[in-house]
Amino acid sequence: MKKLLEISLGVVTSVGGFLEVGSMATAAQAGALFGFQLIWAVVLGTICIIFLVEMAGRFAAVSHHTIADGIRERFGFNAFIWPLLATLLVNFLVLSAEIGGVAVAAELATGISFRWWALPVAFLAWLLLWKGTFGLIEEGVSMLGLVTLCFVVAAVMLRPEWKEVAVGAVPSLPHHDTAKYWFMAVSILGASISPYLFMFYSSGAIEDQWDKSYLGANRAIAGLGMSFGGTISVGVLIVAALVLGAHGVNEVEDYNQLPLMLIPIFGFWGFVLFVASLAIACFGAALEVALQQAYLVAQGFGWTWGEDLKPRDDPGFSLVYTLTLFLAAIPIALGLDPLKLTIFSMALTAASLPLTVVPFLFLLNDERYVGKHRNGVISNAAVIFVIALGFVLAVVTIPLQIFGGT
Amino acid sequence: MQLLRDILDKQVVDREQVKIGRVDGLVAELRRGKPPRVLAVELGSIALSRRLGARPGRWTAQLAAKLSGKRQARPHRIAWNKVRDIGVDIEFDIDVRRTKILAWQNWLRDHVVGRIPGA
Repeated sequence: MKKLLEISLGVVTSVGGFLEVGSMATAAQAGALFGFQLIWAVVLGTICIIFLVEMAGRFAAVSHHTIADGIRERFGFNAFIWPLLATLLVNFLVLSAEIGGVAVAAELATGISFRWWALPVAFLAWLLLWKGTFGLIEEGVSMLGLVTLCFVVAAVMLRPEWKEVAVGAVPSLPHHDTAKYWFMAVSILGASISPYLFMFYSSGAIEDQWDKSYLGANRAIAGLGMSFGGTISVGVLIVAALVLGAHGVNEVEDYNQLPLMLIPIFGFWGFVLFVASLAIACFGAALEVALQQAYLVAQGFGWTWGEDLKPRDDPGFSLVYTLTLFLAAIPIALGLDPLKLTIFSMALTAASLPLTVVPFLFLLNDERYVGKHRNGVISNAAVIFVIALGFVLAVVTIPLQIFGGT
Repeated sequence: MQLLRDILDKQVVDREQVKIGRVDGLVAELRRGKPPRVLAVELGSIALSRRLGARPGRWTAQLAAKLSGKRQARPHRIAWNKVRDIGVDIEFDIDVRRTKILAWQNWLRDHVVGRIPGA
């Protein structure tokens, strides 16, 4: 019974982690411009992240190392420095985009420009990390994240042609805007397969003191949690396709067009639900990304870390998330367009994947870490697939950014 | 046991299980006609930047000397005979409070983090 509770809690948490500004924005843009045609990218991204999250959890539960610990220890500092720098940079942009997402939600609610909200949002997030515990961050914020289920409800209420939805789940070639199509596909994959997600998950497993008895729970949480997250993303995409596309909004160029999505279904409450979903999903993600920056640095250099400790007991760790949060708020406060930043950072995330995913192939097959719980053929095939995908994405992202970017 | 594989880059804890860093470098003694012997492990930014090359190592050492005095221009060392246990972490039989290894974190606590309300 206790395990069941823990599993459902874990599932809810991972939904909260999955859905953030990137998955919402990319799914909405893709739906508006290409209808159901890009659903396959969400499905593919979700399957990949299920595998990676399961492995990150298994690695932590069996070896009592986080993924960052593992990379530093197994490959040495001179190799570790590359994923470290790449992830710090990508996470920084993603964090900025998440703060931007909350700030836009605040602008929609109050009419005051998002620029003025960036620093207050960063401050609120910092306060929660400074005073809160890991349990509070993990459970409190992600419970609230369930509000995003309204997209699934809306998608069902719109009565889409389910046959067409199923067709969209199979990859197909675009009929128009070819470069943009592939750029959107890359951004969706980047939004789904985020390194911060699986690295945070492995740190969380250590914070929650997982051991081998959690292997089953880990599998259930990874599979169900990420599938739920993916379902909500598909919900966003379907609603965008049926509402925005039908109203002639094909190009989502700023966030102000997005609240329209839920209004035909829920009326005024649709507006409220959209604003709440955007704010909560992005705020939850901002907390996780900021914490992950601190985890990464502290684990990489062997400092004391832990969200349950008082800041005075892990000064290095708490200083990292403090600095990251406030620095990441600056671009938004200066007026950088949150939507453009989001799409850009999702594509860059996709390009950085090989650096963080290649180590999985070694760590999850190394008996000194995972003993007899090493990867099977299917898991290894999945990792190799993600690595190959990551390399392709890394090569194509920059040209696509130039020709297909917004 | 292989030094580079099993010891280098491992998490270091003291006898109270306080995390004090990672094994950033190893010090070994070459002996004529006998296998080399490990004398100590090194920790800290100087040892770490030496691994990136001689020049980054020198720069970091100069910076450390400038910031906290000539005596800090060398990496922290823990003698190998203090090793107590090698598991997930590597435990040394020392009390980190009696060393300078965490001096910068203590400085940070006293001058920055501790001054923010609620810390």
